[in-house]
Amino acid sequence: MRKLTRRDFLKLGVASAAVLTIETQFGPLARAAESLIEGGRSVNRTSGLPRSFLPSTCLQCPAGCGNIGYVEESRLVKIGGNTAHLSNQGSLCARGQAGINALYDPDRLLTPLKRNGLRGKNNWMPITWEEAYDEVAKALASARANPGDFVYMTDDASQDALGRRFTLALGSPNVIGAAGIYDNNKLIADRLTWGGNGDMPDLAHSKYMLVFGANPLENNPQFVGLARRLIDGQQRNQAKLVVFDVRLTNTSTRANEAYYLNPGTYALVALAMANVIMQEGLYNRAFIEQWTNVTPERLAQHLAQYTPERAEAESGVSALVIRRIATEFASTPPAVTITDAMLSNSINGVQNERAVMLLDIITGNIDVKGGLCLPRQYNLAEPNPAPPAPNPGISALTNPAELPALATHQPIQKVFQLLKERRARANVLMTHSVNPVYSNPDSGMVQDVLLDETLVPYHIAVTPFMNETSILADIVLPETTYLEDWNVEVRSSPELVPYVSLRQPVVPPLESAVSFFEMAKQIASRVMGGMEQYFAFSINEYLKARMANIPGLNRAGGLEYLMQHGVWYDPKTRPDYGSFVNTGFATPSGKIEVFLPQLGRAEMPTYEPVPMFKDIKEGELVLTIYETALQTDAKTANCMWLDEILHDNAAMINTETAGKLGIKDGDVIKLTRQAKSGEAKERSVTTTAFLTEGIHPQVIAMANGTGHTEYGHVAEGEKMELSEIDEPFLRDPNLTLIWWREKGGIGVNAKQIVPVASDPTAGGQAWADVVVQVAKSS
Amino acid sequence: MSAALDAAGQQGLEMARARAALYGLVSRIFSGKPTAELLGALKGREMLESLAAFEVVFDEGFLGGDVAAQADELAGEYAELFLATGSNIAPFESVFLPGWSEDKPQLWGEATAAVAKFYEEAGLELRSGQIPDHVGLELEAMATLAECEAARREAGDAEGAGRLEGLQNRFCREHLIRWVPEFCKAVRERAGNGFYGSMAVLAANLVQLHCGEAEDGGSEETTRRITDK
Repeated sequence: MRKLTRRDFLKLGVASAAVLTIETQFGPLARAAESLIEGGRSVNRTSGLPRSFLPSTCLQCPAGCGNIGYVEESRLVKIGGNTAHLSNQGSLCARGQAGINALYDPDRLLTPLKRNGLRGKNNWMPITWEEAYDEVAKALASARANPGDFVYMTDDASQDALGRRFTLALGSPNVIGAAGIYDNNKLIADRLTWGGNGDMPDLAHSKYMLVFGANPLENNPQFVGLARRLIDGQQRNQAKLVVFDVRLTNTSTRANEAYYLNPGTYALVALAMANVIMQEGLYNRAFIEQWTNVTPERLAQHLAQYTPERAEAESGVSALVIRRIATEFASTPPAVTITDAMLSNSINGVQNERAVMLLDIITGNIDVKGGLCLPRQYNLAEPNPAPPAPNPGISALTNPAELPALATHQPIQKVFQLLKERRARANVLMTHSVNPVYSNPDSGMVQDVLLDETLVPYHIAVTPFMNETSILADIVLPETTYLEDWNVEVRSSPELVPYVSLRQPVVPPLESAVSFFEMAKQIASRVMGGMEQYFAFSINEYLKARMANIPGLNRAGGLEYLMQHGVWYDPKTRPDYGSFVNTGFATPSGKIEVFLPQLGRAEMPTYEPVPMFKDIKEGELVLTIYETALQTDAKTANCMWLDEILHDNAAMINTETAGKLGIKDGDVIKLTRQAKSGEAKERSVTTTAFLTEGIHPQVIAMANGTGHTEYGHVAEGEKMELSEIDEPFLRDPNLTLIWWREKGGIGVNAKQIVPVASDPTAGGQAWADVVVQVAKSS
Repeated sequence: MSAALDAAGQQGLEMARARAALYGLVSRIFSGKPTAELLGALKGREMLESLAAFEVVFDEGFLGGDVAAQADELAGEYAELFLATGSNIAPFESVFLPGWSEDKPQLWGEATAAVAKFYEEAGLELRSGQIPDHVGLELEAMATLAECEAARREAGDAEGAGRLEGLQNRFCREHLIRWVPEFCKAVRERAGNGFYGSMAVLAANLVQLHCGEAEDGGSEETTRRITDK
C-alpha cells in the first residue's frame, strides 16, 4: 500500500460528508449542547442547569456500593451507581437511589437539642453547638473517673473505627456494635472454622450454587455485588441454583429447584448431604487429609447418624432429593454454598453454619475459583498515636465472665439485658446511628431501660434523625447524613480483589449538621486530659493515615485519586485463589478446623433440634422476620420512595394453615408470644393476613423495616403540608402525596415480640427460633 | 467559513471536518443495515476514487448490482454478522477486551464502564437502551467530537477546539486503537472481500491512521504504514 497523505484523508472526508447528507439524522448518541462539551460537564436536560457529580460510597445498607451524586445548584438531584466500582459495577439498588430522601427528610435534625422536661416526652430546647459540646464534655469528663461506665453503641460499621477510637481515648472498652443482632453467629463460625472473617462465595465462576436460608438476590451483606455475580454464574456457566428455605424468596423464584424445609432443620439436611457424599465416596480425600483436622474416616463415622431418611422424617425434604442434590453438588465442580443470617440467626446458629460449610470442605471447594472463598479485604491503619486498649475487666459489658465463650463483640441485645438486671452500668451512654428500640429483640425492654434514669443516667444521641432511640436521649447531636460525610471504606470484595472506597460529601452539610469526626474532635478538645491528642488531625490527615498501609493506592495518588474516582483497586491484581496452600489457614492448627473441641458436645458439626420447636401446639407457628431489598432494618424508613413500595408488612401465612385456623386473606390477626421466665407478660403484635402458597405451612413471615412509632412524618406515613416545613430546601411537593397510612397502614415492628435469646457460643440473636400463637383478632 | 482563520487554523478545520465525516460514515455502516440510498451514494465516482487510496475496492458485482436488492441482502448479512446469537461477532469493546473477568468476555464489562464514563466526561449523552461500547457508537462519538471541534475552529475558539481534539485523541488511544483493528480483522475474516469486509478495512485504516497521528502529535505527512493485508 502506498503512503496515505493528508490529501487522501481530506478527499475521502469530503466524499463521506456527501454520502452522509443523503441520510437524515441517525445514531443513538444525542448531540450534546456545545457548552457541555467544554470541560466535559453534565447538564439537566430539562432545566439546562449545569450539573456536577462526585463519586462516593453508599451507606443505605452495609454493602458499601460505589455511588455518584449529581448536584445542581448545590442541591443533590440524583444518586446513581459508580461504574468504576469493583463491587456493584455501576448498579445501585432502590435504597441507594432513595438516599436523597434521607438527605432532605423534612424532619431532619439541624440544631442540637437538649431535653426539656421528662425523658421521652419529646420536649426539647434548641442549644448552640458550643453549649452542646460543653455539656457533653462535662458529662464525659466526669465519666473518666470510672471510664468503664461509658458505653458507645453503633450499628454503623463504617463509623466503628472512629467510635472505637473515641471510646478507647476515653479509657472505656465498651464499643458495642450491632453484629449481635445481625450476622455474629455466621462470622464466629467462619472464624473458628477457617480463620476468615466471613466467607465469599465466588458465584460468577461457580457451576452449582446451593443456598441454605439465604436470599442473595434480595438481601445480603454484599447485596448488589453478590446478586450480580449470582446472575453471572447462571448466565455464563449455566450454573444450577438450588434453594432451601422456609418461604418462597426472590432467590428461590430464580432457582432451578427450591424446597421448603421444616423450620430449624437446615443443619440436618446439610449433614445428611455430607453423609451421602462421604458414603458414596464422592469426597475429596486429599483435601480433607491435608487441609482439615479430621480424617475422612472419622468424619464419615460421625456423619453416619444423619441418614437421608432421618433427615426426611424431621425436615420434610425427601431422602431422594437429598441424595440426588448431594451427588450433584459433589460431582459438579466448582460448587458452592451460600448462607446468610436466616440460617445462623438461631440458637444453633454456629452449628448450622458449620454444617453447611462442611459441604464445601469435604468436596474441596475451598478457596478455588467458583468455590467458597476466603474474604479479600484491605486492612486500614489506625492513625498514630493510637489510644491504648483499656482493661476489659473494668466493665461488666466486656468482662469475659459475662460474655458468650467465644464472642468477640458484646452482643447489643445482651447489653440491654445486663443493664436491666443491673449487672452492668452505662452511666454515660452514647448511641450513634443505632436504633435499638426499633432494631433489637424485645424492644419494649430496651425502651424501659432507656427511660429509666437510674439505669442510664445520661444518654447522648448522635443522629441525623429523631427516632425511637434518640427520643429517649438527654442531648441530641444532629449528625450529617452519609451523603455529607467523609470516610475511607473497605469491604470483603465479591470480585475477590480487594478495593478501597471513599465516602465524600456529595453536598456540603445542611445548615448546622456536623460530622461525627468533627464532633469527636470538638468534644475531645474539651474533655482534655490527654484525650485531645487522639484527635489532633484534620479529616484529610485522618483519611490519609487510614490508608497509609496500602502502597498501591498511595502510588496511584491516595486520597486525591479516591476523590476523583471514588474507588481504587490494583488493576493488575487477580484473585489469588488457593493462597492458603502457602500460608495455611489462620487457625491454631493452620488447617480448617472441622473438629472444635472447645464447642463441647457439638465438637463435630452437629444438628440439634431447636428446643423452642419441641412442643409446638395447635395454632402455633414459627415466626420468620425477613429482610427485603427495600428497607434496611431501622435505617431507610424515612425514604418515601422506598416506603411507597414497602410500607406495611402483612404476615405471609400458608393457605392451608390459614384455613385450619379460620383465617381469610386480609383478616386482622394477632401474633402472641408467650411470656418467658422473668417476663411479666406475653408479647403480641397485630397485623393482617396475606394468604399464599409461598410459605411453609408451619411458618408465618413478616418483613422487617416497617412499623415505626418515631422517625418522622415519612417513616410514620404521615403526609405533610409544605407550609409545615420551615426550611424551604426541604419542601418536597411529594410529601403532600403520602397515601399509605390512610390506605392500609404502615405495618408493625414484629421484632418487639421476639425474646432475647442467643447462640451460646457466639452470642448472636436467635431471630429464627420464635414460636407465636396466631389467631384472628377479636 | 471564517476568513479570520490563518493557514494552520484552516487546515485544522478541514481535518476536523474530514474526521467527522469519515467517522460518521463508518459509524453509520456498523450501526445498522444500509439503505439503498446509502449504497448508491457509496458507488459515486468520487467516493470510489477516494476509497481506493484507503485500499477499499468493491468488486464488479457490487458496483453493477441493483442497490435495492443489495440493501436487502446486506440487511441479512448485517444481522448474521453482528446480531444473530451464537457465532456472530459481538461488536462491543468489552467483548474484545475483557476486564474484570479476564477469562471470559462479557457484555457490560469493565471497558463498557470506562466508555460510559468517557461519554459522561465529554458531555455526550446516550439515548436509552444503548450499550455504550458498541462499535457504531464509539465511532459516532468520534464523529460528534470532531464535528464540535470543527464548529469551534470555525468560531475561532482554538482553545476549545484543542480540548475537543484532545478528547478525540484520548478516546482513540484508550479505546478505538485497542480493539477496533482486531474487530475489523474478525469481520474481514468472516465477510471476505464483500461489502462489510471492505468497510472493515476502511474502519481499521481510519483508526490506525488517526491514532498514529494522535501519537505522533499529528505530523504533516503521515508516513506510517497503516494496514497489512
